[in-house]
Amino acid sequence: MRKQIKLSLNAGITFGIITIFLFLVGFTSTVADILAELFHNKAATSLLGLTPQMLNMLIFLGLVGLWAGAFGSRKEKSRSDDPWGVAVLDSLITGLVHGLLVCGLVLLVGTLDLRGVRMNVYLAQVLPAAVKLFLLGKAPLAGGLFYIVFMLATGFLGGLFSRGIGRGSWRRRSAAAWKNTWESFNRLSFVTQVRGNPITRYVIYGLLLLLVFLVPLGAGQYWNYTIGTVGIYVLLGLGLNIVVGLAGLLDLGYVAFFAIGAYTMALLTAPAPHHLLWSFWIVLPVGVVLAAITGLLLGTPVLRMRGDYLAIVTLGFGEIIRILSKSDDLTAFTGGPKGVTAVGGPTLFGKPFNSAIDYVYLIFLAVLLVIFVTNRLQNSRVGRAWEAMREDETVSRAMGINTLTQKLLAFAIGAAFAGLGGAIFASRNQFTGPDDFSLMVSINVVAVVIVGGMGNIPGVIAGALVLKGLPEVLRQLQDYRVLVFGALLVAMMLWRPAGIIPSSRRKMESNKDTGVTETPKEGREG
Amino acid sequence: MTIALETRSLTKQFGGLTAVDSVDLVIQEGSIFSVIGPNGAGKTTFYNCITGFYEPESGEVLFYDKSLVGLTPDQVTYRGISRTYQNIRLFANMSAIENILVGEHSRLRANWADAILHTPRMKKEEKAAVEKARQLLNFVGLVGLGDQLARNLPYGAQRRLEIARALASQPRLLLLDEPTAGMNPHESVDMMHFIRRLRDELGITILLIEHDMRVVMGISEQIAVLDYGAKIAEGTPAEIQGNPRVIEAYLGSGAASGLNNTAARPA
Repeated sequence: MRKQIKLSLNAGITFGIITIFLFLVGFTSTVADILAELFHNKAATSLLGLTPQMLNMLIFLGLVGLWAGAFGSRKEKSRSDDPWGVAVLDSLITGLVHGLLVCGLVLLVGTLDLRGVRMNVYLAQVLPAAVKLFLLGKAPLAGGLFYIVFMLATGFLGGLFSRGIGRGSWRRRSAAAWKNTWESFNRLSFVTQVRGNPITRYVIYGLLLLLVFLVPLGAGQYWNYTIGTVGIYVLLGLGLNIVVGLAGLLDLGYVAFFAIGAYTMALLTAPAPHHLLWSFWIVLPVGVVLAAITGLLLGTPVLRMRGDYLAIVTLGFGEIIRILSKSDDLTAFTGGPKGVTAVGGPTLFGKPFNSAIDYVYLIFLAVLLVIFVTNRLQNSRVGRAWEAMREDETVSRAMGINTLTQKLLAFAIGAAFAGLGGAIFASRNQFTGPDDFSLMVSINVVAVVIVGGMGNIPGVIAGALVLKGLPEVLRQLQDYRVLVFGALLVAMMLWRPAGIIPSSRRKMESNKDTGVTETPKEGREG
Repeated sequence: MTIALETRSLTKQFGGLTAVDSVDLVIQEGSIFSVIGPNGAGKTTFYNCITGFYEPESGEVLFYDKSLVGLTPDQVTYRGISRTYQNIRLFANMSAIENILVGEHSRLRANWADAILHTPRMKKEEKAAVEKARQLLNFVGLVGLGDQLARNLPYGAQRRLEIARALASQPRLLLLDEPTAGMNPHESVDMMHFIRRLRDELGITILLIEHDMRVVMGISEQIAVLDYGAKIAEGTPAEIQGNPRVIEAYLGSGAASGLNNTAARPA
């Protein structure tokens, strides 16, 4: 019994310190602001004498309090036979200690604030406004007492919750029931028939494709621009997926090939600096081929290196291309730091592409082409050789794989995809310049592949949607966008370490239909 | 009889250390030949010199009278030599059948353009390759496990899958590096019969590194003993068992000569 009380006390102290820390770094008011953005409740209407801002903060602190209570009543081993009273007592002790500590903080900052001490001189985030918010506009003593009651109440609720659900058998029972339902659903004869039928797959693909082609019609200029950007990152991600995900070569200078494609398009179609004015449709394949050749040229000396060394050298190469494009000496050729303007766009049946939606469809077609090529390559002798190299390069050589040629091939094909993306990118923006090709692009593409799921096409698409699409969706959060985005990324890597959609293997032994895939258990469990 | 593999004063040095010291071996086609020796005797280095991972300092490696020195590992595989590893080295995140298909790599011709265009040639080849992989799974007794990831297979199955992968390149000579390591006596005997089947049914010449003397003496037709990189004895199992130099190499000179000189030697 004494030990349990001690554990609850410890939990209370820990959560008290956490809450105090959150206040001191200004997190409480930040969260209040974020919630205000999400709920659109900035208006000054008040409830029970509390502004919406204060309510938002209390929602957050209430969650912390619930967690504290749940944590305080938790014990190392299962105590499902424990009386409810003990769990509740534990959570009350935790809540009380938590509340007392917060109360102490409120009294301290409240009194200091009343005496006119400018605390933000020492702790930048403890602004008068933040203090006022934290005290809920009350006097220090009233505020402090309020927090004691508040933390006791939330702790109590947290304890009930934890005792009822956390330990509870009904969670397990409901999970089992859900699994049962799912399995019996799968056993239904028409379900197995529909599932086993290859037509089902085509129908699903068809519907998905239709959806994808319909979405831009309903989206405005801005969203179509964003969709296009996501599409270009899908192209880049699929290209790098071949290099990193399949062949296992960590290329951190991937942006170089993107730049080659973009500059090819820009220099051959723009009026300045060369006034060549080639047609888009001719330049597109030229850009792809040039990027692939650059990939071969870079790969030849570099691919004898392994792992980290390769990453560093490619990183350098990416920077070299960017700096060259910026160079004053080459301004006459590349347009220099100011870049190339008025890059030409495609015309189809006499109709010039001039809105974001035209480019969205162009990018869709490019993505489809790249998916097709990737899929074919992956399920062939070449794709298997790449994956074998990724798994164990030494052994793959002993299996008769010429690793140098296979690596060069992976590099060139990856570069070709990037060149395709770059050419469309430059044409769509009608501009290209050195700033489009910073190191961040390479890092973003690597992140797309890793977050999405290495070596897996749907994974890369999901990765691009999350990494390039989500920030736009979160744009209404303004300054806190990056914070929320970072938190989401961390959460995603914790729960899905193999990527959003982990790679799966084809069934080949008995199944004649080689398109059926199975997700390995490891990918799910992490 | 035809000679499958021959080495002539093969020498490999790492700095001042001579890991393989002018080794002469002649391996007849269709035989089971074992290389034994204490730990660190240079057996695996000897393998690496044959398979092209190391370039020997001097000496010759002849495979059906053609030199292998200077060839890369993939070229050696193409010539018809395949190997397994002491510590299992499968492609862990690929399925069993894909491991075998990778093994077939050197016997397949489809390039990237075939793969993208799905040329009839490629489709036909791929179908035959998968069929052959299934047969190999069957041969090594792994039917039904083909779609499992290699790393999820039990230990014994991984050993056999590694051999199936090596067989997929249609070798004329198979180099096995301690195939019974980590197996209990019963499993070792199974593996021994399996190795004999490889030779009898597929006609593959076997070169074997092995520590389990029961296996070595049970299946080898000829044995060579390496110690400190040099060949100290060669002969039939019976000859090797009675050879005092071999006993000395394994047990120390005291045991061999009866003197009480049991100075510890580096393992």
